[in-house]
Amino acid sequence: MTLADDALLVQGVTTRAGSFELGPIDLDVASGRVLSILGPSGAGKTMLLETIAGFRAAVAGSIRLFGRELGQLPPESRAVGFVFQDAALFPHLSVRKNVGFALRARGERSHERVDELLGRFAITHLAERSPRSLSGGERQRVALARALAARPELLLLDEPLSALDRPTRDDLRTVLQELLCGLGIPAIHVTHDRDEALEIGDQVAVVVAGQVRQMASSDEIVAKPEDDTCARLLGWSELGVGSLDRDILVLGDLAVPTSDSLDRWNGPVSVFYRPEAVLLGADAVGSRGPTHFRATVDRVLPTTPLARVTLGGRPALTVLLLPRDLGRLGLRAGITVDVELPPDSLRVFRPTGA
Amino acid sequence: MMVRAGARRAWPSGVFQALLWLASGLLIAFIVLPLVRLAATSSPSSLISAAREAEVRDAVLLSLQDAAITAAIATVLGVPLAYLLAQRRIPAPGLVQAIVDLPLAVPHTVAGIALLFLLGRTGWVGAPAGHLGVSFYGSQWGIVAAMLFVSAPFAVNSARVAFEAIDPNLERAARSLGATRAHAFRRVTLPLGARGVLTGAVLVYARSIAEFGAVVIIAYYPVTAPVEIYNLFLRSGLAAASAASVLLLIVALATFLVLRTLASGSWLWIADRDPR
Repeated sequence: MTLADDALLVQGVTTRAGSFELGPIDLDVASGRVLSILGPSGAGKTMLLETIAGFRAAVAGSIRLFGRELGQLPPESRAVGFVFQDAALFPHLSVRKNVGFALRARGERSHERVDELLGRFAITHLAERSPRSLSGGERQRVALARALAARPELLLLDEPLSALDRPTRDDLRTVLQELLCGLGIPAIHVTHDRDEALEIGDQVAVVVAGQVRQMASSDEIVAKPEDDTCARLLGWSELGVGSLDRDILVLGDLAVPTSDSLDRWNGPVSVFYRPEAVLLGADAVGSRGPTHFRATVDRVLPTTPLARVTLGGRPALTVLLLPRDLGRLGLRAGITVDVELPPDSLRVFRPTGA
Repeated sequence: MMVRAGARRAWPSGVFQALLWLASGLLIAFIVLPLVRLAATSSPSSLISAAREAEVRDAVLLSLQDAAITAAIATVLGVPLAYLLAQRRIPAPGLVQAIVDLPLAVPHTVAGIALLFLLGRTGWVGAPAGHLGVSFYGSQWGIVAAMLFVSAPFAVNSARVAFEAIDPNLERAARSLGATRAHAFRRVTLPLGARGVLTGAVLVYARSIAEFGAVVIIAYYPVTAPVEIYNLFLRSGLAAASAASVLLLIVALATFLVLRTLASGSWLWIADRDPR
């Protein structure tokens, strides 16, 4: 991607709130692309959006949107749409007036534009209702329509789905995905939900303690997290502390070659694995490599959409698999099974601070 | 012997409830009984004859008029301060809030004397104002100044509490939709805080009608209703003062109740409910 392609270019942006410092942050998002920012609570994700939107002043750095420097502009002059976690609809205005707010602020009176947006988000029937009477999903649809009415050049979404129940969230996630694909403007979407980040974002940036730890495409970031914190946030489970001797990883009874040489680091390492990539029983029999071992099944939990099987031994691990595989593989507590840890399902990291 | 730390003997069931009701009832009775006793002293005919006395009538009307002017001034000046305090956009907000609350702690006669020093003929403000033909001493402006001093905290605090209760993201949402700070305040914050602003204005109005201590020092004339009642009491005794007192009470309570009902009603948002 060249600089010219970057509709949004954030360089060295630093913001402070009390003793917390966010940044310096570097990001770029092209038109029509969505950057998902994934991070735990208190990482500074919302603060970053607030700084880009102009609700908060940056103490350093630059924010350029289609070549315009936003840094000194007030929020109303930035053309940056913002969708809040709780929708932040104006409770004293009807749905129609909420959606038409931006047009009215500019002195326009385009009923057609409001009607078109109400139709697009399937909320025409709610037009005269008060926001107080809406469900969480309906409120977010109104919030999206309201933000788009202003014809923003950048859309910021601050955990727009996190306050919703699961079916509504799944429903709205699809709406959001289709919307962002067709908008043709850059968008940043903040979430602490891994699945949401991976589903909505073309790129994912992991933000922890005010810093971007890693930024990559969805596929790449899941496959190759760069540190233990990113790994945990992206669904990797910790296997334990092993040791690395040249290219051989030793953990409990396992001694496996690894490509994660960690720049010739010899010493203790944190080992992570993908719990859904582990093969069990008949699926693991084919391989007799160094990552093959036998273990006793401690517990079988038929949870959905993935069931959990915990294995005793050294190392102990939890495996995720489809519930139907429990019967096919004859898995039950107390039996001993073959286990295969595919090499690409293992990652090793230097211990934090090393 | 084992002693349970923090063990308390539980009150018999219903005692706590009874104490709650008893304490509440005593206070309500203490407020209502003197007024009922006062009302019982006067007959409709005595009220009518009191209302026909020009001095009493003028005094009551003057009180209502000046209280209304004070409520308007306190709201116009108090709402901006309340907004700045609610948003914490003012330097040393704790100190400013303490200054706002100061009149609540100053005895009203002391407030009157302080105002007289400032607004009197030789005062810092009174002297230059005198050159412009505005006199506070013994004038309606003096009455309004005294009323404003003692009642301004109600306007500021009531509006501030209302503004503080508004989700700050609403104003941010408005700004992100292209509204300037002023437009966001006018279209979002002020309508949502209107109930608190109006409640503040009603409280200022009520407090101003009742004001005696500060008014009597800075502006004994023209005579407001509380001053007139005091004069009647000194001149002609308790019975003579009672009819005028009941008259003031009825007028003040009636306007207060009407205004308070308006301020607390849900009609405030109706203006924004038209379909398009």
